[in-house]
Amino acid sequence: MTATWAILEKDLRLLWRQRTGWVSAGAFAAMTVITFSFAFDLATADVRPLLPGVLWVTFLFAGVIASSHSFSEEQEQGTFDALLLAPAPRSALYAGKALANLVGLLAIEAFVLVLGSVLFNVPLLVPRLLLVTVVGTVGYVGLATLLSTLGAVRSRAVLLPVLTLPLLVPLLIAAVRATGEALSGAPDGAPWLLLLAVFSFWSAVGAALLFPLVVEQ
Amino acid sequence: MTAGSIIVTPASPSPVVVVEGLSRRYGSVTALDDVGFEVPAGARVALLGANGAGKSTLLATLCTLAPPRVGRVTIAGHDVARAGGEVRRRIGVLAHQPMVYEDLTSLENLRFFARLYGLLDANARIEELLRAVGLWRRRDEPARVLSRGYHQRLAMARALVHQPSVLLLDEPETGLDTDALTLLDDLMLRAAGITVLAATHRRDRVDDWSTGVLVLERGRIIEDSVSPPTPAAPRALAGAHA
Repeated sequence: MTATWAILEKDLRLLWRQRTGWVSAGAFAAMTVITFSFAFDLATADVRPLLPGVLWVTFLFAGVIASSHSFSEEQEQGTFDALLLAPAPRSALYAGKALANLVGLLAIEAFVLVLGSVLFNVPLLVPRLLLVTVVGTVGYVGLATLLSTLGAVRSRAVLLPVLTLPLLVPLLIAAVRATGEALSGAPDGAPWLLLLAVFSFWSAVGAALLFPLVVEQ
Repeated sequence: MTAGSIIVTPASPSPVVVVEGLSRRYGSVTALDDVGFEVPAGARVALLGANGAGKSTLLATLCTLAPPRVGRVTIAGHDVARAGGEVRRRIGVLAHQPMVYEDLTSLENLRFFARLYGLLDANARIEELLRAVGLWRRRDEPARVLSRGYHQRLAMARALVHQPSVLLLDEPETGLDTDALTLLDDLMLRAAGITVLAATHRRDRVDDWSTGVLVLERGRIIEDSVSPPTPAAPRALAGAHA
């Protein structure tokens, strides 16, 4: 656990000092939401059915940009090898990187939800939607961290979006449907949130188990 | 051993690094070809060879970044492929790249790596190392403002923070001035009680610090002045006595 917290603290410190990767991911997210807000006729149409797709497309691509940056910096400075030379279990290294990515992406998502609430005139900062966002992001970050490791280790960062998107399809479907339920006020205990939680759990656990295999040359 | 045979083996410390039948291929390229040697405790070994001879691949295997698929490697009795964590706890690695975070200060870098190695109270050790490499007064400057030479000094401190018993160095002299070379010699290459295996192109300096050499050529060991004599020769001697 010491190694996990050390990596989390270090990544958050670097996230604050470097900012470029996360600022560009946040700027991308803001531009996406603003563009969609101009595309919809807010005066006459109910945009609620469209918002789940808008939100998760935004989260998805902002996450790809941010997590890819996180590992490319490590690779450029050779520090990823330094992490791998530590005696800590590989899964502890993975957990540290994934937690840092999770914190960064949740911050961007909070910003998007605030911006979306204003632009779409729909209250997005409601507990159930926040729960869906957190649960879905855990699974997404779990997979994205593993695949961005693959991109960094194999020096093929372009692989990240190509590999990430097909693997995320089940999780994204569940996330979009659960978000739709949250926005429409469907009764609690709706199945999509449960399904999303299951996908997220297994994505995170599976990625942690696969991480040692990915980092070995 | 047959009764009456005489085994003539020079007295030597038990080997810390043992490599047996190590081979590695990258596609059609053979990087290492049936490499085998033993490094006794406390030995300081220069790993020599032209570019592409397999030195870096060998070091990557020893430091667990590229675990062996063919052959066996043990460090301090721990198998590199099966007990990587135990091996990593005992080795310090200095490579071409300093492997430090540019946006962290020297102090923050060492604190991070100390925690990564599970050292919860390493402040005294970190201060000692930063003073030794001449970075104590610049401990709060981010690494990105340091020169190449000072980067390498910080990398030395990083590699030593957990007090490793085996040092694996890949061309450690790169980018170092005379003062820094002296530091490298004092802290790493001639440090008491530490086993050193260092790949180098500086043949002119090898005699200053090494106790033996391994020469690699196209992935094969062609000269080994480190490993103890194989039993084959003593057995022949035993036969002569019989």
